[in-house]
Amino acid sequence: MERQSRIMSEKDEYQFQHQGAVELLVFNFLLILTILTIWLFKNHRFRFLHETGGAMVYGLIMGLILRYATAPTDIESGTVYDCVKLTFSPSTLLVNITDQVYEYKYKREISQHNISPHQGNAILEKMTFDPEIFFNVLLPPIIFHAGYSLKKRHFFQNLGSILTYAFLGTAISCIVIGLIMYGFVKAMIHAGQLKNGDFHFTDCLFFGSLMSATDPVTVLAIFHELHVDLDLYTLLFGESVLNDAVAIVLTYSISIYSPKENPNAFDAAAFFQSVGNFLGIFAGSFAMGSAYAIITALLTKFTKLCEFPMLETGLFFLLSWSAFLSAEAAGLTGIVAVLFCGVTQAHYTYNNLSSDSKIRTKQLFEFMNFLAENVIFCYMGLALFTFQNHIFNAFFILGAFLAIFVARACNIYPLSFLLNLGRKQKIPWNFQHMMMFSGLRGAIAFALAIRNTESQPKQMMFTTTLLLVFFTVWVFGGGTTPMLTWLQIRVGVDLDENLKEDPSSQHQEANNLDKNTTKAESARLFRMWYGFDHKYLKPILTHSGPPLTTTLPEWCGPISRLLTSPQAYGEQLKDDDVECIVNQDELAIHYQEQASSPCSPPARLGLDQKASPQTPGKENIYEGDLGLGGYELKLEQTSGQSQLN
Amino acid sequence: MESGDAARPGSGQATGAPPPRLLLLPLLPLLLGRGLRVAAAASASSSGAAAEDSSAMEELATEKEAEESHRQDSVSLLTFILLLTLTILTIWLFKHRRVRFLHETGLAMIYGLIVGVILRYGIPATSGRDKSLSCTQEDRAFSTLLVNVSGKFFEYTLKGEISPGKINSVEQNDMLRKVTFDPEVFFNILLPPIIFHAGYSLKKRHFFRNLGSILAYAFLGTAVSCFIIGNLMYGVVKLMKIMGQLSDKFYYTDCLFFGAIISATDPVTVLAIFNELHADVDLYALLFGESVLNDAVAIVLSSSIVAYQPAGLNTHAFDAAAFFKSVGIFLGIFSGSFTMGAVTGVVTALVTKFTKLHCFPLLETALFFLMSWSTFLLAEACGFTGVVAVLFCGITQAHYTYNNLSVESRSRTKQLFEVLHFLAENFIFSYMGLALFTFQKHVFSPIFIIGAFVAIFLGRAAHIYPLSFFLNLGRRHKIGWNFQHMMMFSGLRGAMAFALAIRDTASYARQMMFTTTLLIVFFTVWIIGGGTTPMLSWLNIRVGVDPDQDPPPNNDSFQVLQGDGPDSARGNRTKQESAWIFRLWYSFDHNYLKPILTHSGPPLTTTLPAWCGLLARCLTSPQVYDNQEPLREEDSDFILTEGDLTLTYGDSTVTANGSSSSHTASTSLEGSRRTKSSSEEVLERDLGMGDQKVSSRGTRLVFPLEDNA
Repeated sequence: MERQSRIMSEKDEYQFQHQGAVELLVFNFLLILTILTIWLFKNHRFRFLHETGGAMVYGLIMGLILRYATAPTDIESGTVYDCVKLTFSPSTLLVNITDQVYEYKYKREISQHNISPHQGNAILEKMTFDPEIFFNVLLPPIIFHAGYSLKKRHFFQNLGSILTYAFLGTAISCIVIGLIMYGFVKAMIHAGQLKNGDFHFTDCLFFGSLMSATDPVTVLAIFHELHVDLDLYTLLFGESVLNDAVAIVLTYSISIYSPKENPNAFDAAAFFQSVGNFLGIFAGSFAMGSAYAIITALLTKFTKLCEFPMLETGLFFLLSWSAFLSAEAAGLTGIVAVLFCGVTQAHYTYNNLSSDSKIRTKQLFEFMNFLAENVIFCYMGLALFTFQNHIFNAFFILGAFLAIFVARACNIYPLSFLLNLGRKQKIPWNFQHMMMFSGLRGAIAFALAIRNTESQPKQMMFTTTLLLVFFTVWVFGGGTTPMLTWLQIRVGVDLDENLKEDPSSQHQEANNLDKNTTKAESARLFRMWYGFDHKYLKPILTHSGPPLTTTLPEWCGPISRLLTSPQAYGEQLKDDDVECIVNQDELAIHYQEQASSPCSPPARLGLDQKASPQTPGKENIYEGDLGLGGYELKLEQTSGQSQLN
Repeated sequence: MESGDAARPGSGQATGAPPPRLLLLPLLPLLLGRGLRVAAAASASSSGAAAEDSSAMEELATEKEAEESHRQDSVSLLTFILLLTLTILTIWLFKHRRVRFLHETGLAMIYGLIVGVILRYGIPATSGRDKSLSCTQEDRAFSTLLVNVSGKFFEYTLKGEISPGKINSVEQNDMLRKVTFDPEVFFNILLPPIIFHAGYSLKKRHFFRNLGSILAYAFLGTAVSCFIIGNLMYGVVKLMKIMGQLSDKFYYTDCLFFGAIISATDPVTVLAIFNELHADVDLYALLFGESVLNDAVAIVLSSSIVAYQPAGLNTHAFDAAAFFKSVGIFLGIFSGSFTMGAVTGVVTALVTKFTKLHCFPLLETALFFLMSWSTFLLAEACGFTGVVAVLFCGITQAHYTYNNLSVESRSRTKQLFEVLHFLAENFIFSYMGLALFTFQKHVFSPIFIIGAFVAIFLGRAAHIYPLSFFLNLGRRHKIGWNFQHMMMFSGLRGAMAFALAIRDTASYARQMMFTTTLLIVFFTVWIIGGGTTPMLSWLNIRVGVDPDQDPPPNNDSFQVLQGDGPDSARGNRTKQESAWIFRLWYSFDHNYLKPILTHSGPPLTTTLPAWCGLLARCLTSPQVYDNQEPLREEDSDFILTEGDLTLTYGDSTVTANGSSSSHTASTSLEGSRRTKSSSEEVLERDLGMGDQKVSSRGTRLVFPLEDNA
């Protein structure tokens, strides 16, 4: 008898293992298929369907098969146990079953009407991930990679615009979508399609905030391939990256907005608490991410870890991951922390790494990003069929489609108008249209929507989000190339031209001109930041920049001597700057010739500056240059890579 | 029924429930399924607002707890990561200062120990709010439980089984429980990259040259060692029973199980030192090959010992039928896993060969990774051992697929697995240090521990010396006494023994085994690992074999084809060494497998019989035809791309080959044309030395030939 049960439980165990392996295997298989298809597409220069779209298609097919081709099996978990003794739900439960004590862990709460689907299909149940996986495993590498590969020069040049789009734009879009959806919900209640009291205004805002996270990965990939205008690329990319961070924190703040009495009424205290939460979490995550990156930069600067690229890569990876975990442990948002960690790592640590490690880290995160992204999109396709609580509501879906277009328009056009007032280099109309068009939704919106699918409104939102993602990725993603030609956006900005276009190409005049633009463009605040970054942060955290002994005031001489790396003194900046610029890029070797020529002007300027460090004008030029310096190569690298591809 | 038996079904289930969840997680074992933070909070705002106050409050309490639990998970994972960071920094310091007596893994263990002490004694015990309820409705445990609590339904997932006596200790310290992983994490997440990397970086040339010896050590040796340790331990256990030191059952099968798990050697410390000092390559290959295959054998062996269930009433008497069944299981699982790994390796090779995926290194790398991972999952899904499958997959990938990859993908895959391997290994070792204090069911039994120490040394001795004696009868290139002593000395235990031991710690015997294994690992890694350098000099083992003579045993172990000194002498040796069956395999590999799976080797149209010409033409890659005519250029290209370090040693190889007789050159040229059957043998011998060697032979020898002439 005893052995019987033992064997049975072992069978059970086997079954479990089997299932776990099989689900993963399905995903692996789908990904392999996707990879092969992508290769086929890329090989034939077929730009209509991006890899993420392909992954979704395969996911859909697999979901269809799983849904309709597998026999429903009943699982025992459908039986509900009543316990009178329990008045609350503890996090762990010890159950005594015939003298064996089993430990159970709290998983989630299930609303009444969801219980029956749970008895349905064991395989479908198995294929459903815990939504937290997205936030804890899949999204961090994607976001980190985005931060790590932000094109720095153009990013900083357009920082003001990007921040405006990301913060103001997301807020506007969230509110507009929320309002429109509230109107639709009211109409639906009126039409009798929805029970009154289910859908609050906060729910609509919640939907608005999660729908505001744009993810134009498809569009960006095409831009990348076609070498579209870099400013446009940077604007879009920067916006989408920061957007995600804002949307995540915004969603969280809205979800904890809980007015005291009437959930529909406006409660100022709760509102300000939410705003405070938003700011606190955002600032906290930002600080956490940057702090870890700074630690990494200091560690890589002051140890000679670059002798062992593997150790360096390991350290880099671990500390970046720590940023995520620390933020989560502190109750902040890990993903936002990881994003800023990535940005800071790229800005400082990257310069300290050995060239081998630079390639390694890039490749490692590229690889992880690729896998994670395709897994998510694959899962999206799958979820359309395997998720069992879909609520398709045609009215709501139509409303959502309308809302996101209107909101995107409200986000882009007015903000662009305002920005153009201040910008020297205007954002032209075709760029604005393109940005309007690139309002794709992707992984973040999906992850935010799937995080909570308990209540009926949330399920409706989830279904709608899924459909929106499908639609935007397939239709907009596929329509990017025609759109580009239709809007007459400059395509194929090739390497040489780029270089010439670059501020620090052969011509000093062009050089100065562009620098002036940068200077003019970036407001005083940013210029201050550039100066601070160049004079203090760069020298402290990396081997480049002027020695601290010259930039810091007299009285902190010992500290500055301690913190300045010996390299900074050597050769009085001249070679140093060149070196740093060359170092800053992986593929610099290939472009060294090009690189060294643009580098000489800053070196000379650096000398001038050393001679009279007080002259602010010259410094500014220098800073402007540094703001650009090193990044110019970066884009070469990427374009070089794309050529390789 | 015996109580020892009664504890087991539960243990089976305890380990059984989590895997599906854990398998899901490639990277972040801990956070899965635990984090509820925002999800819970969000539901509070939407549904909690509408609900009654009282239930909302309770709900909030649960959510708070869930949030707290997520945070604690993050903290515990953070602890490990910071430990690893610290380890990395210290390793750097040691490497920088050329301190060799403590390896990184030893260091990771020390840090783990320190943190373990802090967690154990520095953190006040917190009591969880666990409730025990009695249910009469069911007779077995389900994986998920729906509980109706005052109108609300909650889902609970099975976490594990707790023996009744431990209920109090469960509630003891929350933090300690948080840092205790599910043992299946090791098998599903941490070990696969380590093992795959080992397989992927097997030094092919030396490995294949010593294949016979390595297989003998791995299979026979492990069996011998397992048996001897098992018997010795049974004696010790009997002794303990007489002395009344044993408080629970301990059977002969338990002893054999202990023998199996402790037979998995893992001389990572020693190998790292060899690597650094450029110790003799043959010794390196023998040790590394043995340790890698050893692990596979030990895993399968231990699982077949567990599966040994005699029929009849006396469950612990010898039963021939059950014994043969176990042997059958062993063979079945092993060959099944082997096939699985080899097949996916072959599929990957074919895919990379026939698509032009090498234009996109990222895609190629991803495909490579996914296929290798699929091997693991496929094997697990079919009931084989994933880790073993992954090992053979790694070897096959290195042998075939690696040649098809683009240059960038080669370095990418290698670096990727190197990093994964590094992280996983140090993670396991620091967890070991931690486990000494945080694991709550240690059973320290001095007699057993001392007995185990004696047993592993005797087992190692009984394994190395007799086998070496027998092997030396057949080998031309004998395994010297100092090599044998060194191999005897390098019987370190590491990650695999630990993972096998922690897999099942439900019964008293297993807990004692676990504690003993942990101590053995500590001892061997610190003492023996630290003593490697003195031992090497004491045994007069050739150190600092410089690249001209022999390729350095670098961790990039794909440099296969540096010619070493007297090439022809080596060739003969290999021929002599490898038995008939191996030679057969070499020629088969060269004539059929290589051309089918890679771009190298002779075209299939020449090697296959005439009647399958169509198939041959279909399978042969166009490059191969090109290879045939201008053998020189193409092949020299090959050399450059295939050996990572060849570039540096390029000229030395040529001179080395120049000194070798022109006879070899001519024969190998003939061999490539495949006219004479006598030259075929020479060719095979060449192949034995290194797969790529043959393809490269053409060029390398043609130049000297002209010089000589």
